[in-house]
Amino acid sequence: MFADNFKISLRQIRRLFVLDIFGMSSLVLPGIFSAMTGADGIFCLLFGAAAGLLLLWLMGAVIKHFGDDYYSYMKDTAGQVIADVFMVFYFLYFVTLSGYVVYELTALALSWLWPEGSFAGVSIALLLLAVYGSVRGIEGRARVYEIIFWFLGVPLLLMLLFAVPEVNTAHWTPIVYSGVPQMVKGSVSAAIFLLPFSAMLFLAPFSRKPQRLASCGVQALLVSLLLNAVIYLILLGAFGQNAMGVLERPILTLMGMVKLPGGFFTRQDVLMTAVWFFALFALLNTGVFQGTLILKELCHETKHNYSLYAVAVIAFFIGKGLSEHRFLSDIYKIYQSFIALPGMFLILLFLLLLHQVKEGGKAGKEAASNEEG
Amino acid sequence: MSIQITPDLQENITNFEEMFSDSEDIKKRRIKVGKNLDSECYIAYVEVAISNVDWKDSAVGKLLEKLRTLPKEELVGYVRENYYDISDAKPFETLEDAAQGMLTGDALFFLDGYNKAIKIPDKGYPGRGVYEAESEKVIRGSNEGFSESIKLNTALIRKRLRSPHVKVKETFVGRRTNTNVDLVYIKDLIHPEILSQIEKRLQEFEIDGALDSGIIEQLTERRKYSPFPQFQTTQRPDRAAMAILEGRIVLLSDNSPVALILPTTYNTFIQTSDDYYSRWEIASFTRVLRYAASFLAMVLPGLYLAVTNFHTQILPTDLLLSLAAARQGVPFPAMVEVLIMEVAFELLREAGVRLPGANGNTIGIVGGLIIGQAAVDANIVSPIVVIVVALTALCSFAVPNEEFATAFRILKFMFIFLCGSLGFFGFLVGFLAVLIHLSHLESFGIPYLTPFVGADLNGYQDERDTFLRLPLDFLKKRPVYTRQGARTRLKFGGEEKRNGEGK
Repeated sequence: MFADNFKISLRQIRRLFVLDIFGMSSLVLPGIFSAMTGADGIFCLLFGAAAGLLLLWLMGAVIKHFGDDYYSYMKDTAGQVIADVFMVFYFLYFVTLSGYVVYELTALALSWLWPEGSFAGVSIALLLLAVYGSVRGIEGRARVYEIIFWFLGVPLLLMLLFAVPEVNTAHWTPIVYSGVPQMVKGSVSAAIFLLPFSAMLFLAPFSRKPQRLASCGVQALLVSLLLNAVIYLILLGAFGQNAMGVLERPILTLMGMVKLPGGFFTRQDVLMTAVWFFALFALLNTGVFQGTLILKELCHETKHNYSLYAVAVIAFFIGKGLSEHRFLSDIYKIYQSFIALPGMFLILLFLLLLHQVKEGGKAGKEAASNEEG
Repeated sequence: MSIQITPDLQENITNFEEMFSDSEDIKKRRIKVGKNLDSECYIAYVEVAISNVDWKDSAVGKLLEKLRTLPKEELVGYVRENYYDISDAKPFETLEDAAQGMLTGDALFFLDGYNKAIKIPDKGYPGRGVYEAESEKVIRGSNEGFSESIKLNTALIRKRLRSPHVKVKETFVGRRTNTNVDLVYIKDLIHPEILSQIEKRLQEFEIDGALDSGIIEQLTERRKYSPFPQFQTTQRPDRAAMAILEGRIVLLSDNSPVALILPTTYNTFIQTSDDYYSRWEIASFTRVLRYAASFLAMVLPGLYLAVTNFHTQILPTDLLLSLAAARQGVPFPAMVEVLIMEVAFELLREAGVRLPGANGNTIGIVGGLIIGQAAVDANIVSPIVVIVVALTALCSFAVPNEEFATAFRILKFMFIFLCGSLGFFGFLVGFLAVLIHLSHLESFGIPYLTPFVGADLNGYQDERDTFLRLPLDFLKKRPVYTRQGARTRLKFGGEEKRNGEGK
């Protein structure tokens, strides 16, 4: 039969990643870039994307070596203990990502959609939806985002088009004036937002064509890069570096400023928040789903959904912690920059290296036995 | 333990009359036959199911006439050799089977010395005949509708699909009603797994009575708590025939004018027969309208509440002021106001449906015009709410399938509560919940949101018949419900058959 095979198409995977990457990065990155690098933010985006391409290339190389299951591959290549350590690393990444997205998405909802609401009420509602979205496996999750891709994409593109008259190109200069440390920091920030791509390693069993996952990721990265670049240039042109630096979510502010032809709606920011609401929810769903998948593997859970509920509860407390204690946000940023980002690269490099060594050893032994024979 | 029919007519009569004691509607006749009227036969039938005006013109009458010309010793041999001259005649060896045969509306014939009973068809139970379909009205196309007779309904489909590949698989449901259920399909188009799945599901339950296809629908659905139907219903033979041509299966149930079509998707509920009979521009335009209507039927009152109660900055000041002016003097909060009107409207709809035709129309006029105006004049509701509720009702009527539209009517109340209490956040949460639910929903293994999801399964061909119904030239492939290798449905001269695919 067609459904219930727990396989999803490349188009679904591509759309899933575009939403995962685009949502959070377009919301947060412009503010970070404008504060650090001004117009050079475009270069940070490009350098970040280059790092993302490298990550995807490494993942593509690793995926080629395992048939279906990344965890089994890690166990075969590096042994049970190291594989478990790596799985814990991935679990920590996805569960903290879920918590961070809960925090951001709840803050978005409370600022723009329901100011009278409470953090607990909104975040619990969102997590319940995420659990509902994940409970029946990946197919349903992929279908949701295949559907809403155009519902979100078309209004967004139209709004960006209508925002063009607001752009003052003088704000795009000067370029190449920020220092190397700022550029590096900006590029690292851009690269951090591409880390959700590492979910791809765990998607191989669910993909109809696992060997094409990496190229699918590259396409998603290029679409996100293009969208982010256009948004950044429009925002920079509309607000200028200084004004944008003080705005919390400049893209939503811009959505409130855009005048639609015909002008029935006076402000569209509330309506357009839906784009980021759905995109961030996609990322939350990815975090919860991947976290659950890894925890299930680690705990050898097959029948029940305890892991799913556990991930949701942990995410809630991380989100709540981030909203109540500012220092936790700083710790999270440090964790992302100095542990998660390099860790993702190093694990893949380590596995590839070990694989090469093992293959080389095997080839040597075969050659030796042939010679003896 | 079954009772065997024996050559002893008296024994058979005794057993049969015991079985049907206190059944005044079952007519039993002992009739003398043979050249010298020296033998006997016994005929039983349900009153009114057999022509009682002139037996001589019926199959039963002609058989009796013939039997009166033969000597006693040739009677059994004649009947044994010639009963199949009567179309649809069927012999039974046990009394239970024979009784069931008679209860389908035919006459039962016993002959002294013959160890079988023969079912002889006649006019059958009274029925409505072929009438115009009461729902799913079309501007262009056939107006024939299904009736309560399953035989008539299968014939209406056969009339449209004159192919030996059309198969009708018969089964019976209901321990006491023994309702005839037919599965109609084209053998070389369907996915065999879907056929075996519906057959399996029909065997999974035992119920005392299945009086309508609705009972079978509910017992064979997998997601019973979903408001969305997982079978498509139709009263139109042309719609059923079209579904069969798409590789789907039609389930007909005796005594029900409503056929079930499986598998089904959101998209098929929005399609109508005349989408394919009309030009593609008109079909596409109405298709887009129906999609928008299905969405608005669910969310319009909720969105009104979210915008007017929480996000007034969206609206222009003039409109906002006129909305506020319209609400002046209304004592209820906006959510209560909307709920009052919605509940009143649902009551009117229910009353209109239950009352006889002319009175039903009157209720609509009295309710819609007079009560609505009176409610506005009395400051119970504001005029804008009447407009919103009326528009929502129009949208729900624009959805072609009643069961499908009902799902949106129910969900509308969820959106009223969510948007009325949480604003646009409530709308997004509700919309996401519905979307996740729909994305999880399947009908016999086909995702409910096909072809908006999983379109790659049929090479993105099915997307040509969704929001837009592209010109028929573009719809050369059957949808994903058809098995691989049999998906070509349209070819033009010069186009070669590819990959052995046939029409």
